Amino acid sequence: MSVVTVQLGQCGNQIGFEVFDALLSDSHSSQGLCCKRENEAYQASCKERFFSEEENGVPIARAVLVDMEPKVINQTLSKAAQSGRWKYGQHACFCQKQGSGNNWAYGYSVHGPRHEESIMDLIRKEVEKCDSFSGFFIIMSMAGGTGSGIGAFVTQNLQDQYSNSLKMNQIIWPYGTGEVIVQNYNSILTLSHLYRSSDALLVHENDAVHKICAKLMNIKQISFSDINQVLAHQLGSVFQPTYSAESSFHYRRNPLGDLMEHLVPHPEFKMLSIRNVPHMSENSLAYSTFTWAGLLKHLRQMLISNAKMEEGIDWHVRPPLSGLPSLGKMSLNKDLHFNTSIANLVILRGKDVQSADVEGFKDPALYTSWLEPVNAFNVWKTQRAFSKYEKSAVLVSNSQFLVKPLDMIVGKAWNMFASKAYIHQYTKFGIEEEDFLDSFTSLEQVVASYCNL
Amino acid sequence: MRRRRVDPAAGARAGALPEAIAALSRSLPSGPSPEIFRRAKFDRPEATSALWQLLFRVLSPLPAGNALASIALEVQARLVKSALCSQGYPRLALAQLPEDGSKGSRELLLALSWLLARGPVPEQMLAQTRVPLGDEMTVCQCEALASLGPPAPHLEAEGPVDVRHVQWLMGKLRFRWRQLVSSQQEQCALLSKIHLYTRGCHSDQNLGHLSVTEAEMLRDPEGGQKLHFSCTPGMGPRTFWNDLWLVPRLLPGDWAAPLDPGGASACSLLSPLRVVEVFALLVACLGGQVGCSPWHQPFPAPTPPTDLPVLIFCDHGPACLCSAPPQLLRTLEHESRRLEAVLAWRRAEPVFWQWMDTVLGTCAPEAPAAASQPTFLPWVPECGDGELELVARELQTLEEELREAVERRRVAWEAKARGCGRGPEWSAARRASRETVEKELGALQRCWEQDSGPAPAHGPHRLVRREDGAAGDRDLRAAELIRTLRSQEACLEAVLRQLQGQCRQELAGLAGALPGLIWIPPPGR
Repeated sequence: MSVVTVQLGQCGNQIGFEVFDALLSDSHSSQGLCCKRENEAYQASCKERFFSEEENGVPIARAVLVDMEPKVINQTLSKAAQSGRWKYGQHACFCQKQGSGNNWAYGYSVHGPRHEESIMDLIRKEVEKCDSFSGFFIIMSMAGGTGSGIGAFVTQNLQDQYSNSLKMNQIIWPYGTGEVIVQNYNSILTLSHLYRSSDALLVHENDAVHKICAKLMNIKQISFSDINQVLAHQLGSVFQPTYSAESSFHYRRNPLGDLMEHLVPHPEFKMLSIRNVPHMSENSLAYSTFTWAGLLKHLRQMLISNAKMEEGIDWHVRPPLSGLPSLGKMSLNKDLHFNTSIANLVILRGKDVQSADVEGFKDPALYTSWLEPVNAFNVWKTQRAFSKYEKSAVLVSNSQFLVKPLDMIVGKAWNMFASKAYIHQYTKFGIEEEDFLDSFTSLEQVVASYCNL
Repeated sequence: MRRRRVDPAAGARAGALPEAIAALSRSLPSGPSPEIFRRAKFDRPEATSALWQLLFRVLSPLPAGNALASIALEVQARLVKSALCSQGYPRLALAQLPEDGSKGSRELLLALSWLLARGPVPEQMLAQTRVPLGDEMTVCQCEALASLGPPAPHLEAEGPVDVRHVQWLMGKLRFRWRQLVSSQQEQCALLSKIHLYTRGCHSDQNLGHLSVTEAEMLRDPEGGQKLHFSCTPGMGPRTFWNDLWLVPRLLPGDWAAPLDPGGASACSLLSPLRVVEVFALLVACLGGQVGCSPWHQPFPAPTPPTDLPVLIFCDHGPACLCSAPPQLLRTLEHESRRLEAVLAWRRAEPVFWQWMDTVLGTCAPEAPAAASQPTFLPWVPECGDGELELVARELQTLEEELREAVERRRVAWEAKARGCGRGPEWSAARRASRETVEKELGALQRCWEQDSGPAPAHGPHRLVRREDGAAGDRDLRAAELIRTLRSQEACLEAVLRQLQGQCRQELAGLAGALPGLIWIPPPGR
């Protein structure tokens, strides 16, 4: 079933391009380590999901591009066309001449309603092109003006008009030491609005990805393009086709739906994050060999110890003993920085994948008390390798990963709010103090729910 | 017990009786062998269990399935007894038979023939198990309510259940529901495509286009394992016709010989009617090219010329379809055989009834069952004219009483109203009360319309796409059905909102009772 991607703002458009590029180049890769027929099935499945066919055979991405400035969109369109392997639809983009100046309220209250009809029209045309439509994948930043304000508005509209379709928002968590002074305000407004109208929030932290580029990929001068490529790699390894059941030979028809059903059915727990192993530069890849046991051990420890990447994992963190009463367990967790999970999904791709042993992830100590591992943990395995990695494992996790960053942002925003700094820029465009208070309340609720696991 | 009038001259040949009974047992699903019938005439015990099972199969309202097969004989026997009694079966001896299948085969044979005499049992059974060739859907909700599946295992919660777990499960259910809706939308889009692309291809002018099953039979005759269409990503008109193009390769190339539909050369595995229909579609789709290699012709137009013969000759060549009949064809063959058996049974029926007379003759005469009725017989009240008059008189008096009561109330209200002032509060109150009355009346009217509206027909309906909008008398129009469903949906949503409001008030009341408790509603709806 097809997924329609909505790329919002500078961030969303740049990342979106990298994602489509990664998906298509992986599906055309010759190092899939599988037979020709399987490769063709893989390609067909990937194409049906993210691309539509045109007369001359060049796949067109199922995407709608939205930005308030024309520069980034034009760059994105030309990059895609230049690759020759795929392109964006000719009339799939919407842009204006002026930006939002990083003002969330302007994006939400002015740009949104003003351009609502045109944007929803574009989206509707894209949805109608799909034979079978599964849901939306909305890429946006959390702390900007256009992407986040309009993103929140568009997601709300999608909730009203397409209430039966799934919506996953891919949001970029800003750098801790970001440049935009009101980024914390923007972040809490975005998050609280999205929590109400979206089904799943897939979060990528700029800081974490930056570290991956520096430490694992050994890139000296890190550009946004490098960061976006790492992001695209992670997303690609989640969304490329996987088998539907243990012994089935058909690719899963609705990965978005299956993923959401496994991870985010509870309305209070919607925040997901991705961890993947291995991740390295192409040069190092040629000289490395991996075993499933090693990869899964690292991935498990990354989950438990809240590590963002393979390097620098704290191996001292251990799951708590099961005999303790729940209250004792909570304080112990806080001391040991143990990350309790609600639900996890592990996707394995590559050689000898059937022999991979995931028993370590089924330990009840990893999970919260009200959900058993048999319901909380799922694994998807596919023989076909992803993007030149002979073996790769990715973990999509609904756990306490984001509690600390969220708490920090809420804290900083509250401090600013307490002194009413910059509030007039929001009230000028219709975002009142009550709206801020509502946002604070709902996010505190989210933090509390995640802490009480 | 009513006796069927028989023509004594009919079927006097020897061997006519076994043929008749054989036809009967072939026409019934899992019918027992004629030998069982013969043994039952002589009340032999070994015939009993087979007849209990046959009666159960005939009387059971549900379609056959694995569930039916696993029911114990005693349970089947008990269900048969109660079903027969509720239909008014007069012989008491059946009710008194033991349920373990040890004796009573003659009684059971009599019961079977009673059922056969009352209604067209073999035809009804055939209709139950027919192969749906069209795209069907049901309009009423009976089947959905009846097939709720086995009851979920009742789990005893060990200790207090965490509400978060329940919320988790509710969320999963909601996701499944949404996926179901998306899948249904997808199915509708595909059905629409198939109906559109195959316009003008069906030999039946009333239908005009192929259904999914028919199109799949043509597209993939060797596979054809599934009766439902499997989604081919990116299927468009070009791919559809390309696939259809490949079918002629499987058939022998010499089509010039004229067809003899009733002759021996017709394909014997399918009934002639079906063969003609199936291949007529093929000819029509290919634009009626008989006698030349069609795959060198350019792309055919979907609407076939109407003046071409619809005959096909199949000579069981090496690439013939018939040599490897797929699942669907097998099912159709089976159905045809049953149909032929039913026809044979109808022809040979008089012989059977003559024989049943002899069976009845061997039974001991039964005392008239007037006085002692078994307690589980349904009681049908005998309404005479006198009773109806009484009821009518009662209704009249009620009506008068109601009229008087309304009059009294109106007078009292007017007296009260005259006394009230004309201030703004009074007009506001009046407006408010008028609105509530209107709302209540509207709700009553909706309920009334729901109850008194014509119930849509039961059972499955075939989906047919028509451009001109002409519909027969018994056809249902989609637009009307959609309207009815939408109004029902609106009613249900109103009820849901009302109940949700009540819940919220209750919770708010409970929360307000505890001092210092802040009420934070959950995010979203």
